[in-house]
Amino acid sequence: MRFALVFCIPLFAAAQVTPEAIANSPNAEWLTYHGDYSARRHSSLKQITPDNAKSLVAKWVFHIDGAKKLEASPIVHRGLMYISNTNEIYALDARNGRKVWHYSAKNAKGTRVNRGSAILGDKVYFVTADCHLIALNRSTGNLIFDVTYASFDAGYTTSIAPLAIRNGILVGVAGGGSGQRGFVAALHPDTGKEVWRFWTVPGKGEIGSETWGGFPAEMGGAPTWTTGSYDPQLNLVYWPTGNPWPDFYGGRRPGDNLYSDCVLALDAATGKLKWHFQFTPHDVWDWDANENPVLLDAVFRGKPRKLLVQANRNGFYYILDRETGEFLHAKPFVTKLDWTSGLDDRGRPKVIPEKIPTPAGTKVCPSVRGASNWMSPSYNPATGLFYVVALEQCDMIVASAKEPVASSGFRGTGNEGIPTEPGRFFLRALDVLNGEIKWQYPMPGPGVMWAGTVSTAGGVVFTGDDDGNLVAVDAKTGKDLWHFSTGHSLFASPVTYMLDGKQYVTIAAESDVFTFGLFQGN
Amino acid sequence: MRRAIFSIFSVCLCSLFAQRNLIPTDSPAVEAGRQIYMGACSGCHGATGEGSQGPSLLSGRASRLPDRTLLNSIQNGLPGTSMPNFPMGSEKINQVAAFVRSLTAPAITTQPAGDVERGKRYFFGAGKCSTCHMILGQGGHPGPDLSNIGSERTSGQILESIMKPSARIAEGYRGVVAALKSGPTIQGVAKNHNNYSVQILDKDGRLHLLNREEIAKLELMDASLMPSTSDAAEARHLVAFLARQSTRMKEGALSK
Ligand code: HEC
Ligand code: HEC
Repeated sequence: MRFALVFCIPLFAAAQVTPEAIANSPNAEWLTYHGDYSARRHSSLKQITPDNAKSLVAKWVFHIDGAKKLEASPIVHRGLMYISNTNEIYALDARNGRKVWHYSAKNAKGTRVNRGSAILGDKVYFVTADCHLIALNRSTGNLIFDVTYASFDAGYTTSIAPLAIRNGILVGVAGGGSGQRGFVAALHPDTGKEVWRFWTVPGKGEIGSETWGGFPAEMGGAPTWTTGSYDPQLNLVYWPTGNPWPDFYGGRRPGDNLYSDCVLALDAATGKLKWHFQFTPHDVWDWDANENPVLLDAVFRGKPRKLLVQANRNGFYYILDRETGEFLHAKPFVTKLDWTSGLDDRGRPKVIPEKIPTPAGTKVCPSVRGASNWMSPSYNPATGLFYVVALEQCDMIVASAKEPVASSGFRGTGNEGIPTEPGRFFLRALDVLNGEIKWQYPMPGPGVMWAGTVSTAGGVVFTGDDDGNLVAVDAKTGKDLWHFSTGHSLFASPVTYMLDGKQYVTIAAESDVFTFGLFQGN
Repeated sequence: MRRAIFSIFSVCLCSLFAQRNLIPTDSPAVEAGRQIYMGACSGCHGATGEGSQGPSLLSGRASRLPDRTLLNSIQNGLPGTSMPNFPMGSEKINQVAAFVRSLTAPAITTQPAGDVERGKRYFFGAGKCSTCHMILGQGGHPGPDLSNIGSERTSGQILESIMKPSARIAEGYRGVVAALKSGPTIQGVAKNHNNYSVQILDKDGRLHLLNREEIAKLELMDASLMPSTSDAAEARHLVAFLARQSTRMKEGALSK
């Protein structure tokens, strides 16, 4: 009876997923890749606490046939969990991991990984590797539309979890490593028709094109391969962009190369640029700025401010004013950082010329993978801490001059790890208002992981580690509370949700989705 | 590097495709081939290729032959077996091969004959198909979505689904009735079920995620919930219409 009430009656009401509901999550539900629009990945759930986390047990595992590298954060809504893989998506009964439906775009081209789905109204959305946006009815998996928004044959691919806002499903593209022109597009939630598109590399004669020295915009890169964040009050979308192309050789693109390695503030209604901030002008180290732009409001230096913070691949933790784009503060969150002598008062780095890659090879810290990357950080307003997975590593980067040809495999040459200095991962808690490291949790392992975090009001932070464990640590102290070895390497960030009064934690691991909850004695 | 592998791969794909191009796919050829097949082959391989004295042409080796081998096997037979040779001229060999291919090809690639418009009218009208099925968001529940059926099934399978729905029940669409301990009865299709839970989609498109403990009686049906169509002419038009439902027409044609 209880289940009949909990599951059937709300479904009869057939409420739509609204932008307001998304803005108010994550609570019992997890409604975007990030959990909500702010990308804080902080859930209001508090059943799991530092005291009881040790009694977490596995509740179910769902195996995805043929999956090699699940990277998605699932979405959970009304008892269903949506988990996507390359060119396919499953809806599972979130209490027990039973498949309810499966949609596979069998004829899709491309094999790129997939980072997740979006939900709005009565639909769930995901992209295929060949840049189709697919809309399905969220209860039945029935196809509503399948539209192309970029040409696979022209070299575009994608892995993005779309972001659903009132007037559009926002999507982006990969291409920083192969020479395509990046863009963010809003597609109509009911039809998939394009509402607006913002090119991240300005066309000839447009503002910003002077920062490329005549390099063709079509090959500029600045891809948009991760999910942005959104402020419904300001009605601004914050979208991060990737590196200019070719990655490691900047000789043919003299200048700052706007809008590569930026966060863009775009008007949600029109896609017009309100402001931009560039973290790494004229990048020759492949330091995409695609890390999550996290939105929060706080009193900063005595003044209430709307902030945007990001732990960037280039090694700095940045604080910006998200109304104006004003640079407020930055601080390194890794010690292995040697490419700059510091930032000026507008946040522009002073690059050390010896750190520009040469044909002979140049040792640079952080590594190409970056001080952090797309693995999700989280922020707990109660502790004032920003939880980020950091990588201490340097690389040898080799750059060579060559005529750049898009999709040719050329990236300006490449990078190599330094065998005697393997990378080490840490979960670090930064003071959100100044970037100081308050505690850290070292994560020994082979240096392969791309797992992120979720924070909870219960005072527990969950993270994947470099050894395939899902780990729970105390949000205040970083003390290790519990861990579970998935037997896989981790390339996804955990999420949390609640059903029938029970809090669950889920992480996707290579080919399987693992879900945990407190031991119930049955 | 990845690109390089990809282009080698696409070169292989192209040559494979060129290889497979020897056999026509147009519906007049398939239809002519069907006539020959019914006379010369169906006795041993079954009217729909399901096999009897000769092997099934729908699965196993015979369904995966390269174009040239298929043509050779028909023309020259398989010496030492009861598969005879058919010295009937290359046009006819091509036609019968076209029909053999159509038995396993996605319906979208075989473009079966029939009045597509009439099939569509019947689907959304007198046939009441759209009360249970959707195509691109138009229609009802709880039958499977048919938006991409032309890429997922052969014409033969579609025809069978229409005329003999119970012959093969689509996965996740078995009829189910669950009497809840709390009183109500829920009917629909079982998206999934085991000893512990059942997930039911009802005719209004609502999902019921149930634990077996809440269910007094669970009845899974062996027969399809779908009524069969006996009118062969309407069925032919329906197949023509449904065969053309593919979300990615061009790619669909290349994928087999
Ligand atoms: C007298 C029965 C008989 C008839 C008539 C017959 N076949 Fe066969 N066919 C066989 C048998 C038996 C085999 C399997 C031979 C073996 O590999 O053992 C076979 C094999 C095949 C194969 C597989 C060939 C291979 O290379 O493996 C194809 C294709 C085939 N038949 C098509 C046809 C077609 C088309 C016709 C009509 C034009 C036809 N057959 C008529 C008995 C028959
Ligand atoms: C009362 C509801 C109902 C009606 C009316 C109905 N169907 Fe179905 N149909 C189903 C169900 C349930 C299934 C899945 C079970 C099965 O495979 O038989 C199905 C299966 C199918 C399939 C196979 C799908 C697959 O994935 O292989 C096709 C094709 C099909 N129906 C076509 C039609 C056509 C054409 C009509 C109208 C003449 C029709 N249906 C009318 C309920 C219905």
